[in-house]
Amino acid sequence: MPGARVVAEHLSRRYGQVLALDDVSFEVEPGELLALTGPSGSGKTTLLQLIGSLDRPTSGSIGVDDIAVEQLSNPTHFRRSIVGFVFQLHYLLPALSLQQNVELPMMAAHVSRQERAERSRELLKEVGLEGRAQDHPSELSGGERQRVAIARALGGFPRLILADEPTGSLDTAASHRVWKLLGDVRDRRGTTVIVASHDPSLTEHVDREIHIVDGRLVPPPDRASPAGGGRTAAARHES
Amino acid sequence: MTTLLQTLSSVRYSPGRTFLTALGAALGIATIVALLAVGNGARHSAGDFVHLGASDLALFQKDAADPTTSVLPTSLIPEVRRTPGIADATPLVLLVEDVPKDPSAIVFGAQPNSFYTSRLVFGAGHMFSAADQIVVGDGLASQLHLAVGDQLKVHRRPFQVVGIYHIGIAYQDSGAFIPLRVAQSILGRQGETTLIGVKLAVGTRPAAVEGTLSHRYPGIATIGTPEEAARLGANGQLISNAALVIAVLALVIGGIGVLNTMMMAVIERRSEFALLSAVGWSGPQIAFRVVMEGVVTTVIGAALGLLLGVIGAHFLIDALGAQQFVAPRVTAWDLGRALLVGVLIGVLGGLYPAWRAAHLSPAQILAQR
Repeated sequence: MPGARVVAEHLSRRYGQVLALDDVSFEVEPGELLALTGPSGSGKTTLLQLIGSLDRPTSGSIGVDDIAVEQLSNPTHFRRSIVGFVFQLHYLLPALSLQQNVELPMMAAHVSRQERAERSRELLKEVGLEGRAQDHPSELSGGERQRVAIARALGGFPRLILADEPTGSLDTAASHRVWKLLGDVRDRRGTTVIVASHDPSLTEHVDREIHIVDGRLVPPPDRASPAGGGRTAAARHES
Repeated sequence: MTTLLQTLSSVRYSPGRTFLTALGAALGIATIVALLAVGNGARHSAGDFVHLGASDLALFQKDAADPTTSVLPTSLIPEVRRTPGIADATPLVLLVEDVPKDPSAIVFGAQPNSFYTSRLVFGAGHMFSAADQIVVGDGLASQLHLAVGDQLKVHRRPFQVVGIYHIGIAYQDSGAFIPLRVAQSILGRQGETTLIGVKLAVGTRPAAVEGTLSHRYPGIATIGTPEEAARLGANGQLISNAALVIAVLALVIGGIGVLNTMMMAVIERRSEFALLSAVGWSGPQIAFRVVMEGVVTTVIGAALGLLLGVIGAHFLIDALGAQQFVAPRVTAWDLGRALLVGVLIGVLGGLYPAWRAAHLSPAQILAQR
């Protein structure tokens, strides 16, 4: 299934007196691996939450393919079948096995028990945890847990992966593996991937970078420009 | 099925919290089971009371505080005997707290040839034949170490024990019989009786006779079943109502206990429910999961509560000093009801936490680091 096109237009989000996002517009092409960078509190997480329907914008619009996300009255179906989330903290359910954790989005979609078991084992194999389906999160390292979280995000076969600081609490080797995994997901499935990250190594892995400071898009800091560059969106914002 | 398995995993994952939640439900259910068991036992004993000597009906004064305070004129008896469908009627006087050595023993004043006394089986001695003679049940004899020839005081009046009987009815085996006129004399109520026992003619429907008697004697309560016996006295009604109130309180307290613990669990696991929402679980799916946890936990509590309730019923009867008259009775229906109450406690206690879990904001919770 091809990745989703994401179009954000004049997106703003205000929390009381705080303007977390200020008139942000950008586009993400299907199958693109986009990095969303910026200092802490700049609005990266808010932007991901708006795209993923976890929150609603104060103004502006978000389109994911032909879906107007900001207008969804019940985003349940969108969350279970269009997007997959990966958070900095893995949020694996400690009482459940790895397989059960990966099955959670499929349970929401009423996928049959047998199909869930098959799919979850395949996904665990895809993230390098074959044969550990019955282990529990407490038996894994931080990097392994994050890989399970990625498998869970893929459970609903989403067209868009939203990853919020997925390597934020990992060491360099584990971070590298997570980045590679996200790249593989994009390459093999054509899934669109948007990653909010501080990770300085991200330029090796992403197609493009957009940078946010104080809720506004600005040109990325001077570092090796990834293929395709992030200039288009930033430039449009500035124009 | 998968939801149930995952619920069991969650319940197993926090054994301490599960145990405390289950214990709260268990105490509520144990209270209900104990009260039901004691209530059933009391009803059964009341049934024994009515059917002393295998009478089919017993006539008491209506609205007496309890059956022992009923007063009826013996002059009614010949008229009652003439009622169609009635084969025999006989008076019975009850003396309570009149045996100083065992205040719980009931002394019955009866005619020696009545159907109340004709079924007594004597293991030693014989039926009384004089005013100063008494026959005692083997339970009372054993408790007071009495044998034929010994003396027993009733209301400061000495009686000679002339027989020891067994009949298999708790009230009678732990009591004694004396002549009717002597009992009336002790009470100062010549020409009066506590109750009138009625034996029906073969083939007579008790309900028909009850209807006739109730119509003819509006001041008399006609009791034919244990349930009616339990409702007879104002005190019995009071106890029955109190048991109901305590059972409802137990249900409410159990429910609040479960609600409290489930609420704590939801707060503690808010990121878990926020995650479920983020991966596409609907509000009802999340709420169902929380309610399921509540139900599974309280069903565990119900099992514990049933056990505690059965044990507690014996302790309750001992504490009330009623072990001679009341044996706790637990029926399958009682256990079923208690289990149903357990499920109800789980559902009711889980509803509000479930609603809260279903309405958590994943944006706020999952963004926290």
